Amino acid sequence: MSEEETHNAPLAPEAKPEEINASCRGPVLFLFFSAALWAVQATGVGLLGSLKMHVPGFLADCPFLTYGRLQANAWVAFLYGFAGNAGLGLTLWMLSRLRGMPLAKPGFVLAGAFLWNAGVTAAMVGITMGDLPGVAGYELPAYASRVLLIGQSFIAFSAIITYFSRRHQQLYPSSWFLIAGLVAFPWIVGTAHWLLVETPVRGAAQIPVAHWTVTSLQQIWLGCMGLAAILYFIPKITGRELYSRQWAAFGFWMLLILGGWVNLNSGSPLPVWSIKLSQYASVLFIFVLIAIGWNLRQTAKGVPLLGSSDLTLQCMGFALGAWLITALFTFGNANSDWNNLLQFTYAGTAIRQFFAWGFFAMAMFGAVYYVAPRLFSGEVDWACSGAYKWIFRLTAVGAMVILLAGLGMSYGHGHALQTGSDEVLKKALMPMRIAFLGEILFFLSSLIFLGSMACLLFRNCGGEFSPMALIRKCRLDKAEGGAE
Amino acid sequence: MNKSPWIFLGVLFAMSLSWWGMVFGPASQVNAAKADLGDGTSLHPRSGLAQQGEQIYRENGCYYCHTRTATGGTFGYEIQITQFGADEDLTREIIGEKFAANKIFEKAFAFKAVAGANDAKKAASEAVKAEGADVEAAEAGLEQAAEALTEAKTAANAIKTEETLIALGVSGVTIEGDLAGELGLPIEMSEADKSEVANATFAVSNGIEQWDEIKDTVRALKDRAGAQFKLLPVADEWPDVVNGVARRQSVSRDFLFDSHAMPGVMRVGPCLSNVGARQTDLNALYAKIYNSQAGGQSSHMPPYKYLFNVRAAEEDETLPADAVTISTGDGVTSVESGFVVTPTTKARALAAYLQSLRNDKGLPEAPLPAVREISNPEEGE
Repeated sequence: MSEEETHNAPLAPEAKPEEINASCRGPVLFLFFSAALWAVQATGVGLLGSLKMHVPGFLADCPFLTYGRLQANAWVAFLYGFAGNAGLGLTLWMLSRLRGMPLAKPGFVLAGAFLWNAGVTAAMVGITMGDLPGVAGYELPAYASRVLLIGQSFIAFSAIITYFSRRHQQLYPSSWFLIAGLVAFPWIVGTAHWLLVETPVRGAAQIPVAHWTVTSLQQIWLGCMGLAAILYFIPKITGRELYSRQWAAFGFWMLLILGGWVNLNSGSPLPVWSIKLSQYASVLFIFVLIAIGWNLRQTAKGVPLLGSSDLTLQCMGFALGAWLITALFTFGNANSDWNNLLQFTYAGTAIRQFFAWGFFAMAMFGAVYYVAPRLFSGEVDWACSGAYKWIFRLTAVGAMVILLAGLGMSYGHGHALQTGSDEVLKKALMPMRIAFLGEILFFLSSLIFLGSMACLLFRNCGGEFSPMALIRKCRLDKAEGGAE
Repeated sequence: MNKSPWIFLGVLFAMSLSWWGMVFGPASQVNAAKADLGDGTSLHPRSGLAQQGEQIYRENGCYYCHTRTATGGTFGYEIQITQFGADEDLTREIIGEKFAANKIFEKAFAFKAVAGANDAKKAASEAVKAEGADVEAAEAGLEQAAEALTEAKTAANAIKTEETLIALGVSGVTIEGDLAGELGLPIEMSEADKSEVANATFAVSNGIEQWDEIKDTVRALKDRAGAQFKLLPVADEWPDVVNGVARRQSVSRDFLFDSHAMPGVMRVGPCLSNVGARQTDLNALYAKIYNSQAGGQSSHMPPYKYLFNVRAAEEDETLPADAVTISTGDGVTSVESGFVVTPTTKARALAAYLQSLRNDKGLPEAPLPAVREISNPEEGE
């Protein structure tokens, strides 16, 4: 068949949404439920770690529970456990829907998901035993990253087969971001695995590699998956066309180009040119912010996202706002004075937490709220949508508390470090004490998320053999028996 | 943007830019860094316990609360003349009257004059002894030279300063024996005197000037006055150096031999880039790791008691030599009252690693700056 004939070939018929949802049901629900479990793990361990910061003697005799190990565990559970599972699940569903084809090779996805979760578990166990790679923000032991990479390749294989199973006249922008997320992860983790853990380069050379890895995982991998969700759901729920594909494309490419450069501390022990380049990249990041923000603002013009009655829209609105604020912080990092002041304070951790929960987790919560019930046939909804609203509220308040504590109070810590004040410790702990409240709220929202997911699964999985159906049947039998 | 293969390729290309810029570029540069410091010395990799200690540091996640990154700051230049040129007036014109009015400057050139007159007298003396010389004229010359020398000595002795050895050092001349005695210099120099003369410097800037402000002076001193000098960075707004956290900025070569570079996340605890120089007392370091609040010290660091062997002390037992102790009002006691605490191999390794963290030696790319005495920190003066 000639190339011209191929291009003129009629498009394959689009599958029905019910058919697509049915094909995604098992793998995507497995990934979503795993994400919920890891969210509880991440917040619980994080909370324990923060508690140790406030009460240093608490569980101090246990070497498995040092502050460093708990912090590493919490981030691994969030990044690879929650974000990886939720992001990959949503990627599969969105690619299927955007291509109008059922999910191909769901068995591969299930195998990949098992491997992925085994990898995260191995990382958690390894870190608890003290096998930290020494790279804050990455923290994957070699054996765990190997399993994660294999698991992701299984899932990506299914996504790619699905993607190429039907030609489309036009690719929706979310597809670009999802593809980028699938491509970026093995590249980033592969680089870190080989250059930092498996066959580490010399110590001095590890610092730039570690920075690129951590920044890329956050800005590119998480950023792409989260923005794909926002770009998909805001136009879909508001019933509008995306304002501009050109703006979306500009934002997409700029994010990919700049994402790995930004946010290098001005005091990093690296060649000055790389620090300067990072600062220039942070300046240019304003274009990513404008491209994404302006495009979505024009798309949802006149629609109060946070005031919407639709919970998914609320979540996406908050996630968009959180992404814009973190992008603005990235832009602000170009200022050397600002960067110098905040580089060793809680501000960096607070912004990372705000990005993780305010942007990414919020986008995933909103997406799961929309997607998960649709994966079941028939009219299925959340058992208690009121409870799900609390996920949004608690996460939003928690994220704001951490942001305000991190940015507002870290100034005092930074200033104390600059002046050599005796109050350094007091100033360092103050934002962390306030942020602890936010972490409690994250923990509560994760528990509700897990509970909601569990209820949804128990009620609807397994048809008449689902736990809830069996309970109802038992009750009915008992009632009938009692009547007799 | 509708052809998926192009998206794939585009993503790969876009990411490769930051990969080359932030991974390959800097990593290649610092990977090629050499241990040789260019002055006959070189950096050495950690070995033995200190190397094992890096693993203990990593295992416990210490880098979440401690950094090893001393930051840079702003500094001024102090021009330190190590040897004046020949022309006093020209040098005076270049450095300005403010510095030229210093007695060391005057004394140094007076020493130069004495040395010159002494050389002239020696030459005249040789001329008298030379065969076939005009004896009368030669003796007249010798007499004249002797008078000039006497005048030079009188002029030199008229300049009163305590720092005659420094003046001698920066004059670049050698004055020995009786002549030295006549000028108030030691006839027999001790090693300390010799060192003072050899390391003598004379500052001709305030240490706050930026390069643009001093570049003309530097060029004139070098090209016109023929002076020898060095430029010393003096910390200005350099918090880590001024606050005593570190002696200089941390640079890539500080991590050259690390198995795992751990620059650190936050400074909840102190920066450890120079802890080896700050904390030389091994027992105090053990006590800090065992229980940082022992002896009533204020600290927020968790105790790492599991890195130590702890057993109940017997009655009237003398603490073993390797026991971790603290000094209290009752004298030296165990860090844990009623117990004998000794470090395990892990604690020894961690302490050895911490003591290996030093940046009190300058590197070509990160020289040790001087710290100005600040009498009034608020005004920075």
